[in-house]
Amino acid sequence: MPRQVPPTPTDEELNTYILTRYALLGIDISVLPESDEDAPMDRERLLANGRSILRQDVEVADFEIDPQFNLPVTHPAPFTAWTEE
Amino acid sequence: MSAGSEGSRPADEPPPQDGLVSRRWFVNRMAWVSSAAAAGTLLSPRPAVSSRRGAAMGEEAFATTVRPQAREDLTEATISESMTLLRSGTVTPADLVNAHVDRIERFDHLYQAYAARPTREDLLAQAGRTPPGGLDAPLRGICLAPKDNFYTADLLTEGGSLVYEGFQPNYDGTAVALMRAAGGLVVGKAQMGNLAGGRARVYGTTTPTTRNAWAPNDVRLSPAGSSSGTGAAVAARLAVAGIGTQTGGSVIGPGNAEGLTCIKPTFGRISLHGVIPLSYTRDHVGPMARNALDAAILLQVLAQPDPKDPRSLGLPPAPNYVLAATPFPGDNPAVRWPTRIGVWPGYLTASNGRGGSNERVIELRRELIATLERNPSVDVVGEVTMPDQWDELTSGALGGSHGDPTAFFMEELRKDVRDFADRLPRFLNGMLQSADTYVKVQQARNLLLQRMLTQLFNQCDVVLTSGTGPFDGTGLPAMCMPIGFDTDSTTGRKVPRGATLAAPPFGEQRMFAVVAAYQAVTDFHTRRPADPVS
Repeated sequence: MPRQVPPTPTDEELNTYILTRYALLGIDISVLPESDEDAPMDRERLLANGRSILRQDVEVADFEIDPQFNLPVTHPAPFTAWTEE
Repeated sequence: MSAGSEGSRPADEPPPQDGLVSRRWFVNRMAWVSSAAAAGTLLSPRPAVSSRRGAAMGEEAFATTVRPQAREDLTEATISESMTLLRSGTVTPADLVNAHVDRIERFDHLYQAYAARPTREDLLAQAGRTPPGGLDAPLRGICLAPKDNFYTADLLTEGGSLVYEGFQPNYDGTAVALMRAAGGLVVGKAQMGNLAGGRARVYGTTTPTTRNAWAPNDVRLSPAGSSSGTGAAVAARLAVAGIGTQTGGSVIGPGNAEGLTCIKPTFGRISLHGVIPLSYTRDHVGPMARNALDAAILLQVLAQPDPKDPRSLGLPPAPNYVLAATPFPGDNPAVRWPTRIGVWPGYLTASNGRGGSNERVIELRRELIATLERNPSVDVVGEVTMPDQWDELTSGALGGSHGDPTAFFMEELRKDVRDFADRLPRFLNGMLQSADTYVKVQQARNLLLQRMLTQLFNQCDVVLTSGTGPFDGTGLPAMCMPIGFDTDSTTGRKVPRGATLAAPPFGEQRMFAVVAAYQAVTDFHTRRPADPVS
């Protein structure tokens, strides 16, 4: 069966997601101006940044780290400080 | 290795700390820091290993000679020169206070380096209570400018932000407490970028405040950030030295913009207790000074284990940084230890590391490398090869710390997001980062650190680099120093240009040795910006 690739979310869909997430956590961004380049921050810029962050998540998901990768362990292991072994 | 006189470098010089510490241990330690970021200090309520105090201040901290201009104007004296003047009895701590307060009162309305200051009377009273000078109180009477994110019990700590407006801590952060215990005086809290981001601005706006000391009458020349006020104050002689913080270039950036010598030591080397946090895994405290010796004196005072910050515990005791920053005598003193210096790819073709090019900066970098090559202990190994998957591991979300500040500031975010002004996205981003991304970012950071140690610092002991991002994220030390002057293309002003060095864990001694040897044969670090036009 061919792999189904869902359509890429639109900006509007991502905006809805972002605003829902903020609202869920009790963050009110309605106090910001809608769009005002003279203001230190506005909703338009904030949402654009949020969309960028979400899309970067996809890039991160695409980066593969070998699940067998482990950092080299020191010897004797530092855990001896706790276990006194 | 270059030909030249061996100078007086003794054959039995003890090796620097970067060669004595297990790199594998450091990789594991930084992985613990990632875990602790999620668990907080609950993971380690008490140190699992003993932590010994660092080396005592050495006699080398006292300047052997004091420049005439420092005798004539005490604001010109370095820490080391001030120590010598105080010991000779020709100068008192009150003299140092009055000289600096006079200058601040005359010029700081133009520089705008300070956010809060004690009165002259308060400072003189503190100066009268400072412990006797000498090696036990090396900072006696020294006027210092900590960034305004260090808690101070006697001065507001506002972090350059509406979020902390009016905040009065009831204790000193550990770094401030250590400076004061060594006799140092906080002559003011230095302005900073909003919550440690960007250049200093009017709280809640994008209107710049602090000026670059090299163009105090021209707001267009940025002092860089976020330790803007400390950098400007030290360069403008409104303080002898100071401390900044760095999560992403915030000590090295202003240091280079102001012609200073600064160091961001290995992660954990200076306690972060009593510092407004940004990232549990990337925040560093860094001394900002006028030369390598002063930076080393400050680091010697500050590099102590602190039971209130587990990140500072369990490290190898701080070595003698002051000795490392003391050049050997002679016309071309050898770097204290034979040192291989690598050059970042593109360092001699792209001046800002982002594809921009400035011919004068390239010329200065070539002169820097030529000077280093003439040093009998230095081997400039040329361009280094970058570790595997460098671009993927150092860019985008994998190379950043998007989620880190959110958890610290949830209450303030709920109260009023407008208080965060232009920095709001940085503090909200954690809410949008998924758990799997956060885990992968931590894994990638450890992978990057391992590769930097095995695939980058196998080629060199110190690397000349354009930026510090990968070194901030992995906790590796970095340092900057001035290497000459350029004409700023926007303002037409003569401005300093700096070089950035980075090293493997606990490479502070080696960087101090390189910078001290360079500063022994150059004088860029002694240049002083002209006073502003009132």
